[in-house]
Amino acid sequence: MNERLQDLLKNGPKVINIGVEQFALDLKEQEVPTVQMDWRPPQVESDLLSKLKKLRKK
Amino acid sequence: MQRLEVMPRTYYDSITLMRVAKEITGMEGIENASLSMGTEANLRILAAAGFDLSEINVTPNDLVIAVSGEDAVLDEALSKAKEYLANPPWKKEGGKSESYKPRSLDGAISVLPEANIAMISVAGRYAGDVALDCLHRGLNVMLYSDNVPLEKEIEIKKLAREKGLFVMGPDCGTAIVRGVAMGMANICPTGPVSIVAAAGTGLQEVHVQLAKRGVGTLHGIGTGGRDVRAEVGGIMVEMATERLLEDDEVEVLVVIGKPPAPEVEKKILERISRGDKPAVLGFIGGESRGDRDGVYICTELEETAAVAAALAKGEDVAEARKELDSAEESLRELAGKHGPRKGWLRGLYSGGTLCYEAQVIAKELLGPIHSNTPLKKDLKLEDSLTSVEHTIVDFGEDEFTQGRLHPMIDVSLRAGRFVEEAKDPGVGVILFDVVIGYGCNPDPARELAEGVLKAKAVAGDRIAFVASICGTETDPQNAARQRSILEDAGVLVCESNARAARLASYLLKG
Repeated sequence: MNERLQDLLKNGPKVINIGVEQFALDLKEQEVPTVQMDWRPPQVESDLLSKLKKLRKK
Repeated sequence: MQRLEVMPRTYYDSITLMRVAKEITGMEGIENASLSMGTEANLRILAAAGFDLSEINVTPNDLVIAVSGEDAVLDEALSKAKEYLANPPWKKEGGKSESYKPRSLDGAISVLPEANIAMISVAGRYAGDVALDCLHRGLNVMLYSDNVPLEKEIEIKKLAREKGLFVMGPDCGTAIVRGVAMGMANICPTGPVSIVAAAGTGLQEVHVQLAKRGVGTLHGIGTGGRDVRAEVGGIMVEMATERLLEDDEVEVLVVIGKPPAPEVEKKILERISRGDKPAVLGFIGGESRGDRDGVYICTELEETAAVAAALAKGEDVAEARKELDSAEESLRELAGKHGPRKGWLRGLYSGGTLCYEAQVIAKELLGPIHSNTPLKKDLKLEDSLTSVEHTIVDFGEDEFTQGRLHPMIDVSLRAGRFVEEAKDPGVGVILFDVVIGYGCNPDPARELAEGVLKAKAVAGDRIAFVASICGTETDPQNAARQRSILEDAGVLVCESNARAARLASYLLKG
């Protein structure tokens, strides 16, 4: 069996939490080793606003 | 009046944003408050809500705070929103977030090199790629996010199988690993039973029902509901079943979900039959019947737990089923005492699997049930906000959760709907679920009971209210406390969702 899966099932979760921070707090309350990641969405530009502005001018 | 503020390159998770928005909306003089990332979809929602976006410049990496209401309070609302973001009022003492949060996955792994699982709850359009990154670094994954495309789910699960890692989800709200509650889950003892679940609240209900029978659960591996569909082929159900059958600590295996695709069901049955452990298959409303060679077939959640508990305790399974039959008799008697009621059943649910189970049971006793998630397509509600004849609604569906917290966290929509249903003179019974545990509303019964009392003010005693609580006395909300709040409001509280659905139906059937 994969070592990390075996470790998960035999020794319990050790968690990297990506997203909702409340889940990390709930895990820490249960004394689970947890690290919260400061995840950000990939940088992308939106042109919706310029489209909206154009529509308003029409 | 309205005001908008853009916080450039600022990111908060959706639950934090929606919680702050709810706090601000509750301020005196505020009509509407919204905090959202500047994605196209979110800007459309803001525009539809009447906000003028022509003067702002925003990208999906920016946070937009929008408030409307009386002019005098708008500035205060904006500054309150920023204050709450920096320092959320709902965070418990000692529950403060740590100052150092790694920005990259590699950074997180260097802080916790022994990490064995990633829990992912970012927006669905990003979640699949984050999951792939985690798998490539050798981490198991719990994928809480929904809206992950089906093709992405298949790609992720194929990679996980190749690497021998678990992917729980997407749309996996609940998991239990060595008794640890991950996501929306209850505090129950650990013990000899382990569960594979393609059903989130189904897992919570079976976990809780086992605990009520004094039997603990070691693992509850969620797979996401789509796993048992033909397209995914049950990759994770099969893998989790395999691992748990090999595990010496697991004495009884339970597999639950809505009825799987026939080829997936066949695969699961074959694999379980080859194992040397007793197993219980609980496919809610499934067609398969009859126990065979250590494999027990159930069609309801409480029944699944009752049979698994009997097996774990070395008791007679037939006896456990008989006890359920006699419980059904007492429900009929109770219905006789509080009924008969005239008219329609209205079920208002927060748990998807519980909603499904209620439909299966009510259909048998009352006939066709309309729903936004119906058992048959022709019973789909045209509008989820308007009930038709017998109706059971799942408030966890997209139309209710766009830009809003899940109904297990924000119960206000359901509490308001009690009153709307009470205004319909054709309604005789209102049925609902109360799901508690980590990740859920801190005191759902209080707000729901207020809704019940308001509905009673409209309808008097015409409508009977029936509920069940999915939770334990050791959960932060305390099931016994929740129960007494509901009973004080005149709600008939049952021991399981199946019993509540039966009692509600018997009340109308007479």
